[in-house]
Amino acid sequence: MTFTGETFVGLLPELISTVFIVVVLMVGVFVEKSPDLTASLAALGALAVFVSAAVLLATGFSGEFFGGGFVVDNFALFFKMIVAGSAFFAVVTAARWSGRTGDLPEYMTLILSVVLGATLLVSVRDLFGVFLAIELATIPSYALVAFDRTRRESAEGGMKYLLTGVIASSVLLYGMVLIYGVSGSAALADIAETFTGQLTPVAILGLVMLLSGFAFKLSAAPFHFWTPDAYQGAPTSAAAFLSVAPKAATFAVLLRILLEGMPEAAPTWTPVMAFLAIVTMFVGNLFALRQRNVRRMLAYSSVAHSGYILAAFAALQGQGVATAVEAVLIYSAAYAVMNTGAFLMIELVGEDSKSFNGLFRTRPALALCMGIFMAALVGIPPFSGFFGKAWVLLAGAQSGSIVVYAVLGALVINSVLSVPYYFGIIRNMFFEEPTKDAISEPRDTGAVKASVYVLAAATTLFALVVGPLSALTRASGLL
Amino acid sequence: MITTITIFIPLLGAIFVSLLPDNERTVRYGALAVAAIPLLLATYIYFAFGGDLGNAALSQELTWIQSLDIGYRVGLDGLGFGMFILSALLTLIAVVSSWDIHTNLKQYMAMLFVAEVGMLGVFAAQDLVLFYVFFEVTLIPMYLMVGIWGDENRRPAAIKFFIYTFLGSTIMLAGFLALGVLAKTFSIEGLQSGGGLGATAQVAIAAPILFGLMVKVPAVPLHSWLLDVYVSSPISTNVVLSGILPKLGTYGLIKIAIPLLPQGVEPFLPFIAALGAINIIYGAFVAFLQPDLKSLVAYSSIGTLGFILLGAASGNAVGLNGAVLQQVTHGIYSPLLFLLVGIIAARTGTRRIADLGGLAARMPWAGALLALGALAAMGLPGLAVFASEFMSIMGGFEAFPVQGLLATLGIVLSAMYLLYMLSRTVFGPITKPAYEQAKDASPIEMAAIMPLAVLLVVLGVFPGILVAVQRPAVEAVLAAIGGS
Repeated sequence: MTFTGETFVGLLPELISTVFIVVVLMVGVFVEKSPDLTASLAALGALAVFVSAAVLLATGFSGEFFGGGFVVDNFALFFKMIVAGSAFFAVVTAARWSGRTGDLPEYMTLILSVVLGATLLVSVRDLFGVFLAIELATIPSYALVAFDRTRRESAEGGMKYLLTGVIASSVLLYGMVLIYGVSGSAALADIAETFTGQLTPVAILGLVMLLSGFAFKLSAAPFHFWTPDAYQGAPTSAAAFLSVAPKAATFAVLLRILLEGMPEAAPTWTPVMAFLAIVTMFVGNLFALRQRNVRRMLAYSSVAHSGYILAAFAALQGQGVATAVEAVLIYSAAYAVMNTGAFLMIELVGEDSKSFNGLFRTRPALALCMGIFMAALVGIPPFSGFFGKAWVLLAGAQSGSIVVYAVLGALVINSVLSVPYYFGIIRNMFFEEPTKDAISEPRDTGAVKASVYVLAAATTLFALVVGPLSALTRASGLL
Repeated sequence: MITTITIFIPLLGAIFVSLLPDNERTVRYGALAVAAIPLLLATYIYFAFGGDLGNAALSQELTWIQSLDIGYRVGLDGLGFGMFILSALLTLIAVVSSWDIHTNLKQYMAMLFVAEVGMLGVFAAQDLVLFYVFFEVTLIPMYLMVGIWGDENRRPAAIKFFIYTFLGSTIMLAGFLALGVLAKTFSIEGLQSGGGLGATAQVAIAAPILFGLMVKVPAVPLHSWLLDVYVSSPISTNVVLSGILPKLGTYGLIKIAIPLLPQGVEPFLPFIAALGAINIIYGAFVAFLQPDLKSLVAYSSIGTLGFILLGAASGNAVGLNGAVLQQVTHGIYSPLLFLLVGIIAARTGTRRIADLGGLAARMPWAGALLALGALAAMGLPGLAVFASEFMSIMGGFEAFPVQGLLATLGIVLSAMYLLYMLSRTVFGPITKPAYEQAKDASPIEMAAIMPLAVLLVVLGVFPGILVAVQRPAVEAVLAAIGGS
């Protein structure tokens, strides 16, 4: 194992986030009275990770390091950008909230640690590396959820998240160990050689446990129940971040494991994915319909969107593989902009759906932004969410499998099923009269508002980047 | 290029109007200026390129997603041009007739212009994905216009409208994507005659597309969303809602379903013709029973959409020409009637037919124009709807005699209820003393109505001015389906 200059370049995003973790923590210790400095440093760190990944992507950098266990390709770099980008918005939002309580440096450090874990995760090619990176991204997130000491829900959500998360990790690890036992190696390339033809029962058990562990992490039903409590308890910025960044990275690594580690076993795992997708979509949407709290609604909505992305995994067969990979990438990017924006709106308006009443009359620009996010989450063109769903449908149509067609049918039904709760917010904002106490605007929201405007613009103009994104992922290196 | 400019001018207009100061006069004149530009451009296109819509100056193609051959492809042809220019005209009329909107006027105009982008775009799109995007762009503004500015029943009406049409269009999208993926292109031109797909695949793809389009029209068992939303809308929204939105469905049928999937659509054609006949007869019967003048006009509007379905399903030159023309003529008479209903309701304070009577005595202009619209609706020769209905029935009868015959019966029925309505509202003695003071249509109201009334007469006498434009495109459709 040798470190060359190229290794450093390939590890640039991870190295940058490591440096900023240390710097932010130290600044927190030695310069106690300056929350602004810490926040700016953390934002700078997230931005630097984003830019470094973007530059590597633009220059077409790719390579394998550490004996092939760590890979830098377009696919990985793209997800690193999603992770760092959403971290940036979380940091910007958190600065306002956490500046009052005095533990801002710790909060920022935790966010940057998740960034480190998630950026590593999308690049590893070895099951145990995957496990370590997942834990590196997950353990700080338990603390993030439980961070708000002033609210009881935060502690409750953190506790639930921790307990279920630990179980999920053990199931995942057990599955990995079984797969290791079958193939005698944890490297994906070696696993691919043993996962061919008729699978042994142990191999199937290992695969099922691996997928169950991932289902927990991705809040796929029936392993989703921690999600609403965790997102409701978490500080808004953390909920926005956790529902996007670690999830996108986990989807990415699952895609890598399945496509690089067990492509021959696709007939075994695509039906599992189809089942998970259908159940997850229905559970997410049906429970979201009942919510009056916007935060919980968005939590269940994130379950539903996990289901839509899993539908792309079910389409990883036949002619649909290339388009399905594209679908996961495009959906993750689309979801990142629209969902982060929707969560940040809670910071500006409130988490009771009634607090959105009459927003169109009191603050029309914000109402327009939230309307854009909601329409995008439904999947209405020209907003970003439409392209995510359209790509899943395209991939499914190419796969040529009856099971996948059933999944697509469920996706169409679920899109319509989701209209009432997303449009409930639009109705409250545009059709209802303002309630009296909703008019008082929280202070120090300039940065959050600016973030919302930027994200709304990104959600609207997503159509312009979808072409380049598609071209980029064709050359993603995963296929 | 000029097509793209025409489509997106209203988007700039929406931003421009939002930035105007909160002065009602300024906003109205600003919106008027914005709405005039696409109409002027479309009129220029008619006179400059009317005989040659395939001209390269009108079409544009940009790669969007290379691997799937999805592109920004726009261009005009005879199937859509009539609706393209009508969309621009009806938007202008909606701006003029927004006299009953006073709160948040700027936002109303902005939403109207966003909807106009979608309407103009649909009739110019030459790519399936682009078509769908424009198709859906109209949805949210319409939902908001009904939901914010409609009457007391507006909220359930708006969401019902949204859910129904979104369900339909999402199912339609699944069909579009399957078609494009299997044929390896999304270009409407490249997909003519099925894009090389077999009959079974075509049927499987045509089914969801037709379902989505029939919801949008709406064909009768799927129509329940429409009545609520028509009745609850403000009048100026009605103009666009009844004039353009149903045509998104019928246009999709003529432009996409039939020429792109000829073998797939074929088994469904008798049913589409039957749905057309059902629309005509059901619309007439139910309109007869309506106590409310606006509901009557709404059902009349649903009914005459049936002629478009019948003509489109016929698969022959006469029927298709009739269907394409009927899209435009329906879009002229229906907004006219809705505008007059709005004026009458504002003057008398009621829309109940039983409470009205003798309006012609004090409101001669409004009364006469209502009579003109009603006569047009029943297909009186010399007025615009006659030619298109007649051609639709001729074509429909040739292909499907039973359905054609039933449609003819519908004409008789519609004449009955429309004349009955006229006799109880416009003619006869004045029933209430309050109506003695009712004022006739004001100049601004006349300004909104007169263009439509003039068009009814002009197109009635010279239907050729549109038929000539649309004929080459209709022949192309016939070539695609292998008919004559």
